[in-house]
Amino acid sequence: MKLYEFEGHNLFSKVGIASPFFVACSNMDEVEQARKRLKFPIVAKVQVLSGKRGKGGGIKICTNEKQLNDFCRGMFGAEFSGEGVRFISLAEKAQIEGEYYASITYDTTLKIPFLLFSKSGGMDIEEVKKNSPEEILRFDINPFSGPDKTNLSKKLKDETLADFLIRLWDAFIRYDCRLVEVNPVAKVGDDYLAVDAKIILDDAGLARHRDLDVLQKGSAGAIPTERELAARKIDEEDYRGSAGSTFIEFGGDIAVLASGGGASLLVMDALSEAGGKPSNYTEYSGNPPREKVEKLTKITLSKEGLSGCLVCGAVANFTDIYETLAGFADGLAEVKPKPDYPIVIRRGGPRQKEAYEMLEKLAKKEGFDIHLFGPETPISVACREMVRLSEKFKSSEKGQAFLQEVSKVKA
Amino acid sequence: MAILVNSETKVLIQGITGKSGLSACADLLDYGMQVVGGVTPGKGGQVAMGLPVFNSVRELVAALGLVDCAMVNVPPLLTLDAAMEAIDAQIPLIHIFAERVPVLDTSKILFRAKEKGVRVLGPNSVGAISPGEGKVGSIGGPNAKITFSKGPVGVISKSGGMCSELGSMITNAGFGQSTVVGIGGDLLVGTTFVDALEMFESDTQTKVVVMFGEVGGNAEIEAARLVAVKKFTKPLIIFLAGKFAEKLPKDTALGHAGAIVGLDSTMEQKVASIKKSGAILAENFEDIPGILKKVIK
Repeated sequence: MKLYEFEGHNLFSKVGIASPFFVACSNMDEVEQARKRLKFPIVAKVQVLSGKRGKGGGIKICTNEKQLNDFCRGMFGAEFSGEGVRFISLAEKAQIEGEYYASITYDTTLKIPFLLFSKSGGMDIEEVKKNSPEEILRFDINPFSGPDKTNLSKKLKDETLADFLIRLWDAFIRYDCRLVEVNPVAKVGDDYLAVDAKIILDDAGLARHRDLDVLQKGSAGAIPTERELAARKIDEEDYRGSAGSTFIEFGGDIAVLASGGGASLLVMDALSEAGGKPSNYTEYSGNPPREKVEKLTKITLSKEGLSGCLVCGAVANFTDIYETLAGFADGLAEVKPKPDYPIVIRRGGPRQKEAYEMLEKLAKKEGFDIHLFGPETPISVACREMVRLSEKFKSSEKGQAFLQEVSKVKA
Repeated sequence: MAILVNSETKVLIQGITGKSGLSACADLLDYGMQVVGGVTPGKGGQVAMGLPVFNSVRELVAALGLVDCAMVNVPPLLTLDAAMEAIDAQIPLIHIFAERVPVLDTSKILFRAKEKGVRVLGPNSVGAISPGEGKVGSIGGPNAKITFSKGPVGVISKSGGMCSELGSMITNAGFGQSTVVGIGGDLLVGTTFVDALEMFESDTQTKVVVMFGEVGGNAEIEAARLVAVKKFTKPLIIFLAGKFAEKLPKDTALGHAGAIVGLDSTMEQKVASIKKSGAILAENFEDIPGILKKVIK
């Protein structure tokens, strides 16, 4: 989970990393209140999850009230890097004597955390890496003992700075971060301040930080959609297997209920290649109980204007296909209005045959348009079939609407 | 010969009295594996599936002797402690099943394992199977004998489902597998594509390897590099999944914790490095059996 800058500063303050005094505002009234507590020049920064705020005009140093109000009024609710601006932070401009860069993240090849430090702060670290790599110091970290403070002090020739970096490590491990980045770290007098804060929390670690005061974020955007929040709740309430912890809206007309982290990628690729427009991405895996699949089915099919539903996954190892598809059937029964669009199911694995017998009976009894494919049918073939059936459904629907129009005109 | 697991492999299960431990144990016994016993703290002295349960890995090893593999089948937040026990007892292979183990815990596990010279498979790994020989983890579940068959094809995938899907596809195409390895979909894993390829290189049974790659990370590029520098010399067929996700914002995490859009390398960079290396890129997933037929003459 990515954090807003102001959330990052709040988290840093718990480990003793200071920032210039700031107030996060969500409307013009709050800007008005905050202004009274700050002295000009005031640095106004839009709070968005995508970087490059400086280059994109999202940061403005305001020397008077008019400048401040114009900037904030123009930014609230506006789109910045494709993201709606909900918050603007106002901070007093610090007297900065030097700007540095510091970050800690994981090296996926060496499988350890590492710290990067550079004297060239305030600019894009990728640029520094390219143009003057000698300016970047790297420290590999033993995850048990943390960075070696003596070594840091020796290399940086600055104990206060080493202390700052140790606190950064503190934040990194205390809150299960995947990334902490401060750019710039500002030297102000004898102290070091975090002028920016970029933090990505490890989603798997959130379970041990239930008390953390941060806003929910979307998988693919800052603001989670309603369906996304509802889907996420399924796993929060029940740890067995996983269902819906990732739910991304794609805006198309084919609902997708995929299975497995790897297979779900293949399914989305195959569906898109066949010309289908997915309504969403979501998946369940690891043998979730029947009720979890039922809940996810209801959420996935809750959208209007669907023209197909694709339930697709690989040959399962240990996921009970009967139980999970019974959950799908339970969910399907509760969807209103009753789905009349084609449903394509492709799966294999434990109790798949029993599951398909159950679904055939259900289709007959309730009049669902269900098409079943076993492991002998490639995933891509099932996806193409989904697109074909959905096109057929749409043209017959259009035909119906046309006939209705015609009869209206005649009457 | 196969890699990681064979007919001699002796296994212990940590968390043997839990639901996932019990079901994995049943499948292993059904496959003819030598499961010597299990560990659940506080339940020492009990019996699970006819096997003795101990309070710690150390107690089990003291009573029954060293085993080849410890399967860690405990919930994600308990995995660190359980894995540390197995590492400290120097069990040569540790399989970690749980999904959602915090990255910090994983990095500690892998750091200590490296110090002790212990191999970790996972976390978030479905396991490994050498068909007709043996298996560890939950790979193949109760259908392992139908899905997989013995032969010359090595298989590596982060995804457990795709291990079975590939096993079944390759079996139906008339080829068997030497070993099918689920390395796990997390950001950090103990055994990477490269590690598995190095083992397959020196395995005489393996003639060709099929790899299921994903969006995010550098693992596929590192595998391609191994081919380019001739440290892996057998034919390598790679399929890449997750092209659709390239349109999503950077840092979007998908089903696997390691499948993060824009992390390290883009799909385009992966495709380019595979093509340049001499490995074979399967454009469509169903092309794999056809390519295998051409490669295995």
